[in-house]
Amino acid sequence: MVRKEFSIAKLPGFSLIAVIVFVALYLPIMMLVIYSFNSGKSVAIWEGFSLQWYVKAWANEQVKEVTLRSVGLALSAATFSTIAATLAALGTTRRPAFKGQMAIFALINQPLMVPEIVTAVALLIFFGALKQFTGYQGMGYLVAAHTAFCIPFAYLPIQARLNGMDNTLETAAADLYGRSFQIFRRITLPLLMPGILAGFMLAFVTSLDDVVITLFVKSAGQDTLPTYMLAQIRRSITTEVNAISTVLLAATVLLLILFFILTKKKN
Amino acid sequence: MKRLSYLALALITSASMAHASGELQLYNWGDYTNPELLAKFEAQTGIKVTITDYDSNDTALAKVQAGGHGFDLVVPSANYVPIWVSEGLIQPLDLSKLSNHGNIAPEWMNVTWDDGRKYSVPWQWGSTGVAVNVTAYSGDVNTSSIFLDPPAELIGKVNVTPEMNDVISLATMYVGGEPCTEDKEVLKKVRDLLVAAKPKWLSMDYGMTEKMAANDVMASVYWNGAIFRARLQNPNVKYGYPKEGYPLWMDSVALLSDAQNVEEAYKFMDFIMVPENAALVSAFARYANGISGSDPFMPADMKDAPEILIPDELKAAGHFLPTCSAEAQAFNTAIWTELQK
Repeated sequence: MVRKEFSIAKLPGFSLIAVIVFVALYLPIMMLVIYSFNSGKSVAIWEGFSLQWYVKAWANEQVKEVTLRSVGLALSAATFSTIAATLAALGTTRRPAFKGQMAIFALINQPLMVPEIVTAVALLIFFGALKQFTGYQGMGYLVAAHTAFCIPFAYLPIQARLNGMDNTLETAAADLYGRSFQIFRRITLPLLMPGILAGFMLAFVTSLDDVVITLFVKSAGQDTLPTYMLAQIRRSITTEVNAISTVLLAATVLLLILFFILTKKKN
Repeated sequence: MKRLSYLALALITSASMAHASGELQLYNWGDYTNPELLAKFEAQTGIKVTITDYDSNDTALAKVQAGGHGFDLVVPSANYVPIWVSEGLIQPLDLSKLSNHGNIAPEWMNVTWDDGRKYSVPWQWGSTGVAVNVTAYSGDVNTSSIFLDPPAELIGKVNVTPEMNDVISLATMYVGGEPCTEDKEVLKKVRDLLVAAKPKWLSMDYGMTEKMAANDVMASVYWNGAIFRARLQNPNVKYGYPKEGYPLWMDSVALLSDAQNVEEAYKFMDFIMVPENAALVSAFARYANGISGSDPFMPADMKDAPEILIPDELKAAGHFLPTCSAEAQAFNTAIWTELQK
């Protein structure tokens, strides 16, 4: 006789809970997407199908400007934080355990622990002084702030990937007189690529939807899409916001599919 | 990856050149500035205006206090103007550079928060009142009892906007007190009244233009311009001015002490005081503007709108909220905190 294997899927209520969770997660988003095609002005009364809000959002210079700024900021922050996180992950995993390891982990992952508003107020005061002292008020501050809080999001998948890779290949390469950089370039980096990509995507998305820190750090003319949308809501939620959100959502889904295909190939 | 870093570099350097001549940095409430107004201003003067949004007076104040913000003009509410002045964050205006200063309507010239308009010029003003859907309730709208002691038809259908100063001031005037009072007897009445009324409310939320228009909410404390826009979508929405007293508010444009584009800022302030341009300001956010002679240029649907024109008999009940003392503010916050539980 074959013993029954334990399976979570066979526990009572499994499907019910799964369905409830998926509905709770996706129903509001579906509503948002559906109403973005509303021909009326309202986000609550359905008046027929139309693409007018997409046309309007596309014609709105400010929306285009803040969207481009958000994407540019997220790309820069994700790039810098992924580089830093890759170095940090290599430095903390590709070596024997060392004294103070836990402290280093805690320091790297600090942005996950400290409430965002605390970081935001600290940056407001610190950057305020710096902006006055240097006279420079550009995007550099936002890039720096976003890079800093994106590091742990990039770090965690990269570190997980490294932990899952034993170093037999690297040891073999070293036996064959590979130089350290060669080994890194030819062995470690390609194997690590899925982790780095995952880290980059996470950092990108985290930066893209940040509100609190951006709100406090932004200088003149530096609204991002989330701060722009936040400021709109107090007056009125227009269907235009739905249309923008739907486009962002579609972009994210495309990005994830792309990422899925890329990592699938590597494996 | 290389391309990405170039992009980042380009991003950083382009933003650092933001203060070339012919630029103006306007720090204003979100969704409050007419793009047509800015396009017209740019066409006339060659000055490109960049708007940055804020969502509350406190956010704006905190950011400018921290310094290094890069803004030239800010649009604080009336009760915040004295704070901006006393903190030295905005500068006295050189009236010789504002040839249209005389266009400010007489009733908006000598205002309590800025006598003689030496620091700020009008942007938009309005009132905080109550709105009902006449299909649910057909009685008197001009009373705060709509939300403080809701009639049976409205119980469980009322929204109250989560604005501490507006809501507590409405309740204070309803019990016969003055906004920002420190009288504990009055404050106790206000507290008891609000706490007793809260179970009869549906929600404490924004976004009522849509929800009132969609019949989701049958009554709400809200701003006149937003209710005006709701009524255009749903004729059953009716705005009321509580006769017990209701807050008036005005947002005014002020010049920051460390503005970098001062000449451009003066040109903009002068520009928005031209009646035709003031009407453009109103046409977008749907509030009145405080500039004499702008009426003929106003959108037709606003000229006789009951949300924009206050009935004569209810004019006296409108009050500008003073800047509360620290003590009064502490009382209000305590009541508000209890109400949020």
